[in-house]
Amino acid sequence: MTGSAPAIEVKDLSVGNGVVTAVRGVSFTIPQGGRMGLVGESGSGKSMTALALMGLLPMGWSTHGSVLHDGVDLVKQSDRAFSSRRGRTISMVFQDPLSSLNPVRRVGEQISWVIRRHTGADKKAAEQQTIELMTQMKLPRPEQLVRAYPHEISGGQRQRIMIAMALACYPQLIIADEPTTALDVTVQKQVLRLLNGAVNERGSALLMITHDLPIIAAMCDTVAVMYAGRIVEMGPVQEVFRNPRHHYTRGLLDSQPTMDNIALDGSARLVSIPGMVPPLHNLPTGCAFNPRCPAATDKCRTVMPELAGEGLQAACWHPVDSASEVAAQ
Amino acid sequence: MTDTASPAVAAASPRRRVEINASLVVGLVLTVGFLAVALVSFFWLPSNPNIPNIKARMLPPFLPDHWLGTDGLGRDIVAQLMVGARTSILVGAGGASIALLIGTVGGLIAAAYGKLADETISRGADIMLSIPGMVTALVLAATMGSGAFTTILALTAFFTPSFIRVIRSAAMAVLQEDFITSAKLYGRGRLFILARHVIPNIAGVMIVQFTLYFAAGILTEAGLSYLGVGVTRPSISWGMMLNEAQQTVGISSPLAIWPGLAIVFVVLGLNLLGDGLRDVLDPKLKRRSA
Amino acid sequence: MVIYVLRKLAFFIGAVFVASVAIFLLLRAAGGNVAAIVLGKDATAEAINALAHSWGLDRPLPIQYFDWIFKMFTGDLGQSFRTKEAVASLVTDRLSVSIPLALSGLLLGLVIAIPVGTYAARNVGKPSGAVLALLSQIGVAVPVFWAGILLSVLFGVRLGWLPTGGWIDWSQSWVGAIRSLVLPVLSLGLIMAAVLIRYVRSAVLDVMNQDYVRTARAVGMTRTQALLQVGLRNAALPIVTIVGLQIAELIGGTVIIEMVFSLPGLSRMILANVAAREVIVVQSTVMLIIVFVIFVNFVVDLLYGILDPRIRNAA
Repeated sequence: MTGSAPAIEVKDLSVGNGVVTAVRGVSFTIPQGGRMGLVGESGSGKSMTALALMGLLPMGWSTHGSVLHDGVDLVKQSDRAFSSRRGRTISMVFQDPLSSLNPVRRVGEQISWVIRRHTGADKKAAEQQTIELMTQMKLPRPEQLVRAYPHEISGGQRQRIMIAMALACYPQLIIADEPTTALDVTVQKQVLRLLNGAVNERGSALLMITHDLPIIAAMCDTVAVMYAGRIVEMGPVQEVFRNPRHHYTRGLLDSQPTMDNIALDGSARLVSIPGMVPPLHNLPTGCAFNPRCPAATDKCRTVMPELAGEGLQAACWHPVDSASEVAAQ
Repeated sequence: MTDTASPAVAAASPRRRVEINASLVVGLVLTVGFLAVALVSFFWLPSNPNIPNIKARMLPPFLPDHWLGTDGLGRDIVAQLMVGARTSILVGAGGASIALLIGTVGGLIAAAYGKLADETISRGADIMLSIPGMVTALVLAATMGSGAFTTILALTAFFTPSFIRVIRSAAMAVLQEDFITSAKLYGRGRLFILARHVIPNIAGVMIVQFTLYFAAGILTEAGLSYLGVGVTRPSISWGMMLNEAQQTVGISSPLAIWPGLAIVFVVLGLNLLGDGLRDVLDPKLKRRSA
Repeated sequence: MVIYVLRKLAFFIGAVFVASVAIFLLLRAAGGNVAAIVLGKDATAEAINALAHSWGLDRPLPIQYFDWIFKMFTGDLGQSFRTKEAVASLVTDRLSVSIPLALSGLLLGLVIAIPVGTYAARNVGKPSGAVLALLSQIGVAVPVFWAGILLSVLFGVRLGWLPTGGWIDWSQSWVGAIRSLVLPVLSLGLIMAAVLIRYVRSAVLDVMNQDYVRTARAVGMTRTQALLQVGLRNAALPIVTIVGLQIAELIGGTVIIEMVFSLPGLSRMILANVAAREVIVVQSTVMLIIVFVIFVNFVVDLLYGILDPRIRNAA
């Protein structure tokens, strides 16, 4: 493992099933130990991107482009070769921990299976490691909890089990797809803090997929915004969130309800982006966002913009002039 | 995984639609053909299927007077097959529709009239389900003698518990919908809700189940008549024809082919029709299997 | 788990009781005057009464019922009116044909259906999957006796490899007994398989789309491992249920197949006794079959409790 090589380098990734293309030429790089957030609405292709990186696309879907990770191109890996990496060098935490855990196996068995699969540890050692791991995950009474079935424990505990499985073998990259969306608000923070700490401790890189911008702001260094299967803006979190260049990012940020813009006198201003996400089989020509964009011109309706810029990159012909926008507000 | 769900469905639907049509169309063609043959048999038959003709015994198939030949007693095969279609409909559809009627009433009561009614009816259905249909048919034949009526009764006893189960769970699903709650808030009575809201919403399930049990009824009737405890002459059944072929001329004669083919085509047709209808009428199931 | 077992046991006992009353009433009350039917139209009233008395049919129904039931518990299944043979000994002989036939038929059905159904589920949307779906759809439409006739024509008449019917007893030659069972088992097994394939296919399809199968792959299982270790283990639940429901079908199929191949099994005995109005023989044999089916369903329920921790704990 070369220290300088990035944890993952995605080049021109496309995902389709022959009828529609859900991801259209996405490129990004996450350095070792780096943290990137991927945001977008439902249907923007962010989950498909994650599944493509893991080689876990649903039947009938295929990947084009390249995904360099740990010295190999994951796109070209056979299922057998790829399976020896999943859970070891690259792993994933899913959205709904109840449906994502095997209902007929004890949670301890599910964690220790991962350890045995990738480290060759014997049964005893793997069980020992499982209990240690569960202790790290701040799960109560791990010695007893190993024998529980997924339906017998709480949602937060289930997600900790999922995280334990994903982190068991110190992977270089962890993909977390909406890891807290299915959880109670009060538990969300605890689970995120735990994930944050555990990723830190292992020095793993993190790809955090969510539509929750504050989570990105708290946990990531860089952020990529996806719209209709493409990355429309990418850069350091602070810059993107302070001075977004793409009108879609601008709209996303404006439509976040924060305590600042919730006026308690009832004159709350909840902004939303007009229009709807276009269906994948009927995308507009040019920039896919043009029907909803306040600054769209004829050029936007005919020619697709590419990511451009240093540091902060945006795919927009008429980037937001942050100074004037802020002033106008 | 909201992201992946929508494109997957969008991608699956065009291919899926073709599949539905194939199943529905083939099923419909076979079923309509079957019903048409039975209908024609009331107005026209090549010859009387019950009168032996010693001069025309065991004629081979593909003759101008006897398209599929004659049996060991010189009776025309086509005529027997045509009358056999009638029996299949009478017994198969008869058993399935009585079972549907009782099953709907029982299932609706179990779904809508409280826990005690539900437990009684559901447990009763469970017990009935564990009595093999063949055994019921044999016991009925032992007590009442065989015949079309006994066979219909046996099929009814056999199918009713399954209908109760299906109707009950379909009705319960509807009764949990919000519009039922609002109908209750309007002060609508139970019977009104069942008649006006539940039955129209489970009609699709009822039609599909009827089609599938019609097919099962035809298979079972053929089996019982093959055993000699189903219908008896002058009625004619395809199962009976197979039995007669085996008893009189041996199984390797073409006589053992035609009734079997008839059963396969008709049952296949009804099953395909039922599956096709299910895909069209029940969008929930469609999405699940896609 | 204990409460779950007790509840299922209570249902088992209740079901056997209700079924026994139903069978008894059907055969006695609805069956008409058995003695009169047996003696024919010309019999005098005295002769009929004497016969009914000697067969014990003139006692009050509850007495007859409890007499029958309590004797059943002691293993006394009653005796034939005419030959005075004990039903128990009549039945045991026949079971040495029927049980191997039914069980091997079911086993063959499962052995075919589980791999083929799984394969069909993995290849859904591909030509091979569509062909398998069509074949099983056709298989479901084939009546079991016709399958028996066709196989018998092919392997018995045309190729001459196996007997087209008849029975050589185990005591005479077990090779002969097996040879006479091959075609019946094949017919029964193929038809059972056609029905089961569809259920296995949809059970596996359902399970394969579950998130936990994806998780299994996400932590290092190959596609095949995930299917076999996680998918099939979870698909076992619906499959076991279906097997329980198919036991009744299996018995129906066994009855018919015994006729097709002239095997001296239970069904031929029942059919002969149905014709002769041997009420006790029919009643006891039928009751045995029903107890067997209810017992199998009881075992299936227990198995379900063992396989699915959610059910085990909920009860």
